[in-house]
Amino acid sequence: MNLIQQTRQDALALFEKVGLPSKRDEDWKYTDASRLADLLELGEADTSLNIEGLGITDLDAYRMVFINGMLNEPQSNLPADVRMVSLADLQSDVADEDREDLAQLFKISGDEPLFNGLMALNAAVATGGAAVCLADNSVLDKPLYILQVSNQNNVLRHGLMLGVNAQAQVIEHFISTGEAHALSNCVTAVILKAGASLEHTRLQQEGKKQSHVARVEVKQLRDSSYTFHGVELGGILSRTDLVVSLSEQGASCNLNGLFVLDGRQHVDHHTRVDHKAPHCISRENYRTVLDARSHGVFNGKVVVHKGAVKTDSSQSNGNILLSKHAQIDTKPELEIYNDDVKCAHGATVGQLDDKQLFYLRSRGISEAAAQELLTFAFADEVLAAMSNQVVRSYVEKEAFAKLPHGADLDGLLGE
Amino acid sequence: MASNEAIQKDLEAREYDAGFVTDIESDTLPPGLNEDVIRQISAIKKEPEWMLNWRLEAYQHWLTMEEPTWAAVDYTPTDYQSISYYSAPKSDKDAPESLDDIDPKLIETYEKLGIPLREQKMLAGIKGSNVAVDAVFDSVSVATTFKKKLTEAGVIFCPISEAIREHPELVKQYLGSVVPQQDNFFAALNCAVFTDGSFVYIPKGVRCPMELSTYFRINALNTGQFERTLIIADEGAHVSYLEGCTAPMRDENQLHAAVVELVVLADAEIKYATVQNWYPGDENGVGGIYNFVTKRADCRGDRSKVSWTQVETGSAITWKYPSCILRGDGSRGEFYSVAVTTHCQQADTGTKMIHLGKNTSSTIISKGISAGRAQQSYRGLVRMGKNADNARNYTQCDSLLLGDQCGAHTFPYVEVKNPTATLEHEATTSKIGEDQLFYCQQRGLSEEDAVNMIVNGFCKDVFDVLPMEFAVEANRLMEVSLEGSVG
Repeated sequence: MNLIQQTRQDALALFEKVGLPSKRDEDWKYTDASRLADLLELGEADTSLNIEGLGITDLDAYRMVFINGMLNEPQSNLPADVRMVSLADLQSDVADEDREDLAQLFKISGDEPLFNGLMALNAAVATGGAAVCLADNSVLDKPLYILQVSNQNNVLRHGLMLGVNAQAQVIEHFISTGEAHALSNCVTAVILKAGASLEHTRLQQEGKKQSHVARVEVKQLRDSSYTFHGVELGGILSRTDLVVSLSEQGASCNLNGLFVLDGRQHVDHHTRVDHKAPHCISRENYRTVLDARSHGVFNGKVVVHKGAVKTDSSQSNGNILLSKHAQIDTKPELEIYNDDVKCAHGATVGQLDDKQLFYLRSRGISEAAAQELLTFAFADEVLAAMSNQVVRSYVEKEAFAKLPHGADLDGLLGE
Repeated sequence: MASNEAIQKDLEAREYDAGFVTDIESDTLPPGLNEDVIRQISAIKKEPEWMLNWRLEAYQHWLTMEEPTWAAVDYTPTDYQSISYYSAPKSDKDAPESLDDIDPKLIETYEKLGIPLREQKMLAGIKGSNVAVDAVFDSVSVATTFKKKLTEAGVIFCPISEAIREHPELVKQYLGSVVPQQDNFFAALNCAVFTDGSFVYIPKGVRCPMELSTYFRINALNTGQFERTLIIADEGAHVSYLEGCTAPMRDENQLHAAVVELVVLADAEIKYATVQNWYPGDENGVGGIYNFVTKRADCRGDRSKVSWTQVETGSAITWKYPSCILRGDGSRGEFYSVAVTTHCQQADTGTKMIHLGKNTSSTIISKGISAGRAQQSYRGLVRMGKNADNARNYTQCDSLLLGDQCGAHTFPYVEVKNPTATLEHEATTSKIGEDQLFYCQQRGLSEEDAVNMIVNGFCKDVFDVLPMEFAVEANRLMEVSLEGSVG
């Protein structure tokens, strides 16, 4: 049995031991994982879905397309200098000089922060995924766009490893077709070596009845930089655990999140940043706009370990409820074991500013439109951090369309 | 920074200066907890049967509960069978008439602490106001002063055991209505075995003519202190209640599981201020008080108001979350806290603001100072219910860290279900800024004075809202905690 097979077997044993998280777990207090109990079985993957026109079509990028958890090679095109190893290759006994390195990305242990059974299950049964390795000092000239289309339960596990001073932009886009009750379980493990820099976008637009659980695990070495954009627009129940470890001096991370929800959508992001080394910086900015009976959950935890002096950490979380039945639960946490730190967090829940509304109305904009614009502006502040303008304007359009009167105001957004 | 090191060193060397034991014989029940013990306590307190049954119910429920472990504190679990649940000073005569009847040693203890038991003489220098002291020495209220003046105003201020006998209708109506018997492990235990505490009833429209004050002091070895305080402000009433505690130095951990219930009816206001300076254990964390307190206020009426102010410098372990249930429309809750932990002290404290009524508002200001190897957590909940239209909350919790061994943590829960609610939460954690120190020193202040000034400024928001009568006490405590150690 090779390393990967062993890892999978251990993970399965772990899942059987811990099972699904329950509401009695502090980290799952607001999210009912028992709703996922029926969605764990994997059937035969239907890879015949028509994906014509899906995703961000005008994006100039390298593409990887997964259909129901299976890599669709004809639709994918990868840069020549990127080594991509599919999960299947990893499992085969074909020798690979970096297998141990890659296996790291697939390892799972019950002691990790925010560990839960779903993640163990992911490691055990993932049907697809890519381990992308970027060589030292290489810069990916175009973004890597990973489109994941599903209408069934699917389990994906990706690994991204950036070598010393390597740079890349990766966009994961989740779309479901149809209205099946199904679950996407996706794990992305990231390792950034010294000086590497990654901009990572996750755009969740699952179908109305599709659930989505994810874990993004980032390990950062010296002076590396990681930027995350988590955009949650779709799905019925979506939960993401974002775990960033600033393991060596000078590493920095920038985590942005935006939820625009309606209907009975439930989205939960748990983020955890571990400052383990001196002179690391973390920034976090999450915004939610909640309409109808939607429920947003945000938990941002920053842990400053002993010895992580000169830590600079700040976090902000803003929330707007648009409906009487919407609900937000937010918990920005700090755990600090060191005195030489500068840490701050802030959370707000509120409505639009009356003065701003008045200003717009005095310029002849109707109340509804003014509200819409201000809500959009509130959300867009997070998107401003996106460096890719094509992705940003796609997300803006999609987010705008989800606002109650968004469709009427399409013209206001411009091109 | 030299000064930070100096503070740290001084903080570590800081000794508990209120640590002394008054040697009086105590009338103590043997250690252990069972129904008989509860019956005995109830009998000693000459309680009616309904009270005994209430205690037994709580006890039965307590047996089914588990001690909570979610708090970020680490301690040797208490053996509840090794605690003596009742201890009364021997020389206690039923309600002593004057100070002359009181054991002189007791008076001496209070004098060492500077407690204004002797009429208002000691407080005269502060404001010339009247402070009634229902002094609790271990478990029995020993002296109650100013009773007459209060009686004239219609205010009932007495030990709770007396209230159970003399005002059963009020006690029956309100006891356990804010913190029910089954509320939590420590509250259930308290319900079963509480021995004393204060009872306050302010009738409709009465503004209590003086600040009410109780000084707790744990004395006899190995007795847990289970206080029960019940304060009721009827419609339009107003009362300010002060509670302060110090305890003698000793080696064994002592459990303190008090319950405080505040009932606030329409247009009424209760201000509840606490200065807590129980023995925190020595510098290695040996000994010290376990302080597991349940404090909750129920703003039942419209426009009612509650304000919790606390200055916490003592106890080895603190587990305390004074809460406000803002039920009435337009009701308001406030929480102001300064907590200082040094050596191996651990504090997990904060507040809960439950907004249920319309136009309710709350303010939370929490300042934590952590030094030595101490761990301090702010744990708070702000919940805005579906019907809490226009609810408003402002939360600020700041931590100051002194030393690289200490920790400061923040766990704020925010749950909002109403679109018109507005909430702001801010938290910062840092050490004293070198630029701040530099600025002060550049203006000619010594390092120590500069640090003092910055720490005082850090706590100012909270000290400003302490009642005048208490501000002096709080300042004295802070001096002992920090200033003394800096100079």
